Amino acid sequence: MKKTILSAVAAVIVFGSMVSAQEPQTGAPAPAPVNLEKTPWLKGVEISPYPVDISPVIPLKIYAENSEPIPATMTEDVPLTVIAETSVFDEAPPAEYKGQAIPNPRWEENPAISWFFIDWEKNKNHMASVSEPLAANQMVIIPTTPTGKGAITCHIARKMRYDLEEPGRTKSTYANSSGAKDVRVLDITPPLCGLEISIENGPSGACWPVENPPDKYPLPKQADVYLSGALFNAADQDILIPGLELGSNMVVAAEQGSLNVSPKDKLHIKVIGGDNYKLDNAKLKFGLCNGAGGEPAPASPVNEEILDLGKLKLPETPFLYLDATDVAGNRQVMFIPVKIK
Amino acid sequence: MKKFTGFLMVVAVLFSFAVMITAEEAATSTATATSTATGTDTAAAPEETPIPDNTDMTLGMKTDSNVMPATFRGGDPDSSLVHCLEDVYYEKQEHALIYKEDASEIKEGAKFESDPNITWDTKVKDADGNWKTLSSANTNMAADGGKFYAPGEYQIGNSGARQVGASSSGADNEAVGEGDDPTDDEKEAAGGDKTETALVGENGKTEAETKTVTAQQSMGVQVHDVTSPDLWVAFQEGAGTVDMAATEQELKGKMMEKIITTMGRPFSPNADDYVEASYMFIDEGAEGERDLEPFKKTARLTVAGALFNERGATKFETKAIESNTLDKEAMTRQVHVAGGDKSALKGVFVRRNVPFIFASMAIDNGDLRSKAGEVACRIEKADGTEVEKEGNSYLFRVPNFPRDNYEDQPEYFFVAKGSDKSGNLTTVRTPLYVVNTQAAFEGGSNQ
Repeated sequence: MKKTILSAVAAVIVFGSMVSAQEPQTGAPAPAPVNLEKTPWLKGVEISPYPVDISPVIPLKIYAENSEPIPATMTEDVPLTVIAETSVFDEAPPAEYKGQAIPNPRWEENPAISWFFIDWEKNKNHMASVSEPLAANQMVIIPTTPTGKGAITCHIARKMRYDLEEPGRTKSTYANSSGAKDVRVLDITPPLCGLEISIENGPSGACWPVENPPDKYPLPKQADVYLSGALFNAADQDILIPGLELGSNMVVAAEQGSLNVSPKDKLHIKVIGGDNYKLDNAKLKFGLCNGAGGEPAPASPVNEEILDLGKLKLPETPFLYLDATDVAGNRQVMFIPVKIK
Repeated sequence: MKKFTGFLMVVAVLFSFAVMITAEEAATSTATATSTATGTDTAAAPEETPIPDNTDMTLGMKTDSNVMPATFRGGDPDSSLVHCLEDVYYEKQEHALIYKEDASEIKEGAKFESDPNITWDTKVKDADGNWKTLSSANTNMAADGGKFYAPGEYQIGNSGARQVGASSSGADNEAVGEGDDPTDDEKEAAGGDKTETALVGENGKTEAETKTVTAQQSMGVQVHDVTSPDLWVAFQEGAGTVDMAATEQELKGKMMEKIITTMGRPFSPNADDYVEASYMFIDEGAEGERDLEPFKKTARLTVAGALFNERGATKFETKAIESNTLDKEAMTRQVHVAGGDKSALKGVFVRRNVPFIFASMAIDNGDLRSKAGEVACRIEKADGTEVEKEGNSYLFRVPNFPRDNYEDQPEYFFVAKGSDKSGNLTTVRTPLYVVNTQAAFEGGSNQ
């Protein structure tokens, strides 16, 4: 008998609890357990993502000068003046947020503004800053690194104060305004590849360009070329050839430096360096050529990592050449004189 | 009894059905309300709600990490300022919908296309009330820790962003900039119209499917000064027709310049540089001694010159000294130098019949040691009565050292007190001895 009564009571409780489980949640959603394997950035975070106190979020739109839209594609190293359009610069803060009245709102401080350029491919950002005076809502963005996925973001916080219900009491909080504009950044810098050369059981050397000045605009880009090692007669001190135009005609003159080899040397050649975005490996070429400038005229098998000079018919004015192209089509062709003794 | 049991069973079943029906109705009405709010209408074609530009964010200090009460040192509890102490480690944390595992709370069916990009900004308010960025750390972590090394008003900002993809492709194309693509000149500069390969993300998707959503929150932090001010005292003797008033002004001018330049540290470790005047330096200490946590704080006393020993030998001596709690509730501290036989500073030794002056300056880390101020200091007798100058300088005609020989002569003390705006103190009370002229300085004896 008791069992029957207990069963009835249990049935009521069980059905009741099933119903409770189906009831919709009210108020702020309960924080879900954090899976740190999937969200490692939340390590050490103990607060809820749902604000309790008033802290209005104000829309923000980013434009170019004269309210022009931000171009879908920006160009590396080309400055763009951007403008944040947001009511955080208005005379007074909003009097309402998400349906909640904010009595007698007033600003308490000047806005604090941060501009960033995010490279989503690396998930790194660069803070933008300028030394020249600009309006508070303006910034000059200079994207120095190409990317297929980037974003200009602007984050503004401004302290405000509002009245509480209790007469004479006020409370301060922050109004926040942020926004982003997704952009891509076009690569306009040619690759900066070099060559490392060694002779079996003998001396070695290397030649490579360094962009200088970095991030130069307007074009053309410029580079210094360095020669180092005994093969370039630069064992003790690097030879610097300054101010070459970084591009498809980087010719080092014989009086500036040269690769010095014997007619029967076996050269081991390795490409060093790369591109500031992505090198098009399929278009990479190196070897010996006849003369310098223009399209290289190969005088050796292309891309051979070991060149046996004794088996080659060398031209009168041999040059070591490197022809590199990035995926955006920027091309670097470098010619280094070769002296055969 | 059987009837009663059967009745109970019937009631249980009926009740269960009743509440199940109620729950279904509630669920239906909730679903209806939700679809109304999101603009979904089963009769009409579904209208895509856009991904929002930004979301709310919460930000705060972990309360178990040394945060002081909102009313600390007279703080306004409604100011939203977080009260912290300089040189103490704090942990801050933030959270936003863009940091969650699931993007559906941002938009139903949306998904995250990247990890979040998270930057912690620290700004400090300058004298003009403007915010200057001290640091911007792109940590990509929602919790961070660190110390504030100087008192002042700070603003901690967290800037977050994350790429959010719509449930269906192409719904948020406006996320990519709306303007024209590069000009022909720019394309030419890049080697012609060969750029498309570079403009596609690593995973082969076009950016039109995703949009950067941002979140931002700030927190005001009042960092309180718990370091006693640095204090310098210089003693200089004069002789003959020297204009002591002019000398005193010159001494103050030199001290003011040097104390700011050296951030309170002694300007020279070389005893020979203290022939003209003798200096007492009390400062936060050398590298490694500065910015210690409040309960570990020390200070450093340095005496340099001829007036800190009875023989008049020019010396440079330095020693770490204690920094004690002045007020436990207000967390203020005091560095006190009590001179005497057992102290690092035995006393100040001046010659009888030789006029002398002193000057004292202090700087404080509360204003980043950017300006020097004069410090109240004087010579007093044991009972606290002040000893007045004779004209423009102090002059004692009767020796009182060694004390055993001059018990009938009054004891003198040099006292100085430097305080900062927060109430931290640096104080000195050291015996001032008048030694017998000539003998003390030339013979190594007082008699």
